[in-house]
Amino acid sequence: MEVLLVEDSPGDVRLTREALRDAKRSIHLHVATDGVEAMAFLRHEEAQIRAPRPDLILLDLNLPRMDGREVLAQVKADNSLKTIPVIILTTSEAEADVVQSYQLHANCYLTKPVQLDAFECLVKSINDFWLGEVTLPPPSQPR
Amino acid sequence: MIRDISLRKEEGLVGDALWESEEMYRLLLDGIQDHAIFMMDPGGRIVSWNAGAERIKGYGADEIIGRNFSCFFPPEDVGRGRPEEVLRMTAANGRHEEQGMRVRKDGSRFLASFTIKALRDQAGNLRGFFEFSHDLSERKESEARYRGLLEAAPDAMVVVNQDGNIVLLNLQAERQFGYHPVELVGQPVKTIIPTGFAERLIADGTRTAAAALAQQIGTGIELSGRRKDGSEFPVEIMLSPLESPDGILVTAAIRDISVRKEAERHLAQLESRYRGLLEAAPDAMVLVNHSGEIVLVNAQAKKQFGYRRGEILGQHVKKIIPEGFTERLIADVLQSAASAPTPEVRAGLELTGRHKDGSDFPIEIMLGPLKSTEGILLTVAIRDITTRKKAETLLLRTVQELNRSNEELGQFAYIASHDLQEPLRMVASYTQLLSKRYKGKLDSDADEFISFAVDGANRMQRLIQDLLAYSRVGTKGKDFGEISSEEALEQATTNLRGAIEESGALVTHDPLPTVLADDGQLVQLFQNLVGNAIKYRNSGVPQIHISSAKSDSKSGETKWSFSVKDNGLGIESKYFEKIFGLFQRLHKREEFAGTGMGLAICKKIVERHGGSISVESQLGQGSTFRFALAGSKGKS
Repeated sequence: MEVLLVEDSPGDVRLTREALRDAKRSIHLHVATDGVEAMAFLRHEEAQIRAPRPDLILLDLNLPRMDGREVLAQVKADNSLKTIPVIILTTSEAEADVVQSYQLHANCYLTKPVQLDAFECLVKSINDFWLGEVTLPPPSQPR
Repeated sequence: MIRDISLRKEEGLVGDALWESEEMYRLLLDGIQDHAIFMMDPGGRIVSWNAGAERIKGYGADEIIGRNFSCFFPPEDVGRGRPEEVLRMTAANGRHEEQGMRVRKDGSRFLASFTIKALRDQAGNLRGFFEFSHDLSERKESEARYRGLLEAAPDAMVVVNQDGNIVLLNLQAERQFGYHPVELVGQPVKTIIPTGFAERLIADGTRTAAAALAQQIGTGIELSGRRKDGSEFPVEIMLSPLESPDGILVTAAIRDISVRKEAERHLAQLESRYRGLLEAAPDAMVLVNHSGEIVLVNAQAKKQFGYRRGEILGQHVKKIIPEGFTERLIADVLQSAASAPTPEVRAGLELTGRHKDGSDFPIEIMLGPLKSTEGILLTVAIRDITTRKKAETLLLRTVQELNRSNEELGQFAYIASHDLQEPLRMVASYTQLLSKRYKGKLDSDADEFISFAVDGANRMQRLIQDLLAYSRVGTKGKDFGEISSEEALEQATTNLRGAIEESGALVTHDPLPTVLADDGQLVQLFQNLVGNAIKYRNSGVPQIHISSAKSDSKSGETKWSFSVKDNGLGIESKYFEKIFGLFQRLHKREEFAGTGMGLAICKKIVERHGGSISVESQLGQGSTFRFALAGSKGKS
């Protein structure tokens, strides 16, 4: 499974990577540290010409250069990208952020828990649900 | 026979000059309507006729000229030879006056008063006669009419002649002065009006009675009237002229103005008393007329504005209150005073006053109308509010400062806690990860070090979360609504079900009321208190009971007093206040977990709801926490 994690904190990247370690399925985790890199990856631009199409996008909201809200808007406006489930994974609990994300057609919104175990649990749930239970759209476009 | 002069002219018998003056004479005669004036020849035949004669006797000039004047006499007089006799007497005496019956053209009779004069030429020859007469019945009629009017008049009416004597008076006059009419007719008017009336009628060398009279017509003159018994009373007289053949008479309407005078005196007395009060008033008081001019200042006002009385009286009020004291304001107050039965006072107008030296100071004025003999005036009470204004400004500024400061603090607390969370999360997560992955793989020192680090990070996380929760009580507080406190308690116990099951605690409650509160915070409040009661339990089954009691506050609002009673460890009295402080704990970390924020949060919530929280307790015997909330507006 190809997962794109858009996250600027290396600490969180590592934690997520650790938490996604799963015996049952093999997950390739790709990381973009800001919105610009994320869009380049998704659009196979420049160095990312050979980037695979992710099955799932984990998106933080507060990113440098181009923030997560902008990425969300662009992905969901793009006919070839909008079918990829986007999961907002952020520290923000602000109602405004929640509302805006859903309005921009995020598939779901998750607040990063403060405690480690809770965080690990959450990432596991994402793994089990979105990559296990959910039927993802078939690869629709040739590369 | 002397014929009509115009005929004579035509015949060329009379010269032009003579004719012209006679023509003017004719015009004059024709102007007279009240009297018949005509000429006769020595035999009594009519040679000239005026309009008055036409009116009184009923004959037109062309009908009567040439006829004998005996046709005016009643037949019986003609039979007696009266007409000739009259002429004979007139010729003999030169003039004859008489009153007798005459007959009109239509045969009706009337009493006439007539005067006949004999006309003789320079040689003394009788040339004819000249009659001047009027209808006495008309005179009598008009006299009767006049008398009727007099009697009907509501005021006392008196008719006085040019000598100052009373010729006529009405019933009211008799009554007012206490006389019989006969007692006053012919008496000098001085009898009833000792001074001021008769003098006005006297024609002196410089003016005629008519002119003197003309000056008095229409104006009411205030004089003094004297009754028969000698007592005097104030009167007002109004004069009007009356023509009579005896000369000009004066009709005086005399009105008793005792009542009015008394009212005026009373008013003047009230006014002087009021002015006295004004003078002595502790506030600056100024009386202003409808044009805005100052008519009175009291001592305090002079002192406050720095003027002497003479300098400020008559000035416009703008001099001491430059702006805001508009004509509109004055008109408003005066108008409402005129129409309203009780005077309305306008209070609390804040304006600016100006000292004599030109410096301004803040004032508060109070306006009220005052009915006086000069009309309605405006009383203005002026209070110097400089000190008050300074205090108000200071207060306002302090409040603004405080608000700003509070907001800053609130923001600071929030930002601090929020932004501290991020790096803290990293520390806590990775130390925990370290602990998980390397426990037992490093030496025991490493294990211990790691466990202290993890512990510290965890505590810090909890502290920050509690601090955030504390600051959110204010910043994220919702508006109050009508909340069922029973439902809030139920939610709290649901949230605590883990701890309740684990401890086997028994949580009971009396029926609880509907209160005015923030629902989330009410749940939090119950949760903290019940949670504490479970946490700090004694041996045995923890029993927690929540009850409430109604109390009416001073302002009539309903207040509900809640109590959360437990059978836990209890608290020493010296800590009763300390426990509500921030991060205050009474136990070691090893004994009981907790950050010491729980009760601080409870206190903040209760205080936000306008109440207060307290505890009663005995060590080893449990505690009762009490707090009060405002009741709902409706029934609970």
